Amino acid sequence: MIELITFLILIGVGYFVGQHFESQHYASIKAREKQTLHIPLMTFGAKQTLPHAHEAQMFVGSVVVANDYFKTFSASLRNLVGGRMVVYESLIDRGRREAVLRMKEEAIAWGASQVINIRFETANIAGQQANQASCVEVMAYGTGIR
Amino acid sequence: MGPYVPKEMTEEVNITPIHPLMNLAHLFATVAVTGLLIYGGLGIAASQLATRIGPKTEEKIGAAITASLPVKTVESDSRVAYLEDLLSELQRSVETAKLGKAEYPPLKVRILEMDAENAMVSAGSYLMVTEGLLAAVTSENELAFVLAHELGHLHHRDPLRAMGRSLVFVALGSLLGIGQSTSALPSVVNLAELSYSRQQETTADDYAQALIVAHYGHGARSLGFFERNREPDIGALNKLVEWQQTHPMSSDRIERLKNRFQQKNWPTTGAATPLPENIGCANFTSCN
Ligand SMILES: [Zn+2]
Repeated sequence: MIELITFLILIGVGYFVGQHFESQHYASIKAREKQTLHIPLMTFGAKQTLPHAHEAQMFVGSVVVANDYFKTFSASLRNLVGGRMVVYESLIDRGRREAVLRMKEEAIAWGASQVINIRFETANIAGQQANQASCVEVMAYGTGIR
Repeated sequence: MGPYVPKEMTEEVNITPIHPLMNLAHLFATVAVTGLLIYGGLGIAASQLATRIGPKTEEKIGAAITASLPVKTVESDSRVAYLEDLLSELQRSVETAKLGKAEYPPLKVRILEMDAENAMVSAGSYLMVTEGLLAAVTSENELAFVLAHELGHLHHRDPLRAMGRSLVFVALGSLLGIGQSTSALPSVVNLAELSYSRQQETTADDYAQALIVAHYGHGARSLGFFERNREPDIGALNKLVEWQQTHPMSSDRIERLKNRFQQKNWPTTGAATPLPENIGCANFTSCN
């Protein structure tokens, strides 16, 4: 009984706090994406000729997003039956967009006119055990030119 | 290449538009339904298995269960032979009572060193009677009713059915050769949970009643033991308690049996068959 109550509290905290932070984060992401929209981001650059530039520099944006208990529990149920890990989609999406924004904001501060050759890296931090809250690191890097 | 025109993305292409709680509810329902299907399927498989389990497996299960009982059995007592005789007389009357052919393994009678008045059967046809019961009965008719009730449980394979879903795992284990060591068995079968449903008790009562009438020609004195050991009436809780401890008979069960004597036009008067002297003492020698 006590275990069930603890579980329900954890799920409740995970859901409400997790949802609250997620919606706050999305609001921030959307606002900052709008602010930085004028700088184009491109994935080409490795094989193509680069646009003319006086200077180039690499920028790295990296973020670690933690999972919440609600998402972990939903995912463990999903693991039983298979299918789309819907609860993790927003987690990864937030990670990617936040990493790109951090990279982009740094490039803008440097004075970049565009950021080319953008790449992503992800790494799983901890979370090898099923009931252990896991988090994911998303890193975006690219070449800013001015 | 034209000039760069920034375009804002407003669609969320990377996120499935489903509310996380809906997603969880859907997952819960799927897992719960599947779980229930498996649980129900195991139950059906168990009741199917209960009647088809091989005699060897049943003997093995019975041996393991009786070996794990926390009560000592009385060794080499001449009362065992008496009980065996009485039981085989009762078994001979099964045909007269038109109760159908029994298909349980041969009986193994044990007397338990225990003061509580009780009798029980386990898989493998182990029939156990406590010393307390032998000391408490006042006529052979009373003792025979208790024994006949247990025979009823055996006849309907209740000890196997009571093992329920764990029976599936026991049977699978013995099929695959995992269950070679029967010492692991009591941990698979939760002994504390072995109990019969009210339906099973009622059916065993009916069986015993028909058998007693067929054997003695009347039902007189057969319910005496139960009437003296009636469950105390404790009001609303009664139903719950009755569900759990079915062996001290409740008033409801005794009344039902009395009415059934009348319905079936079975005589309730007749001479009681006496018990051998000193049945409450080891080897019928007087106790001190
Ligand atoms: Zn019974």
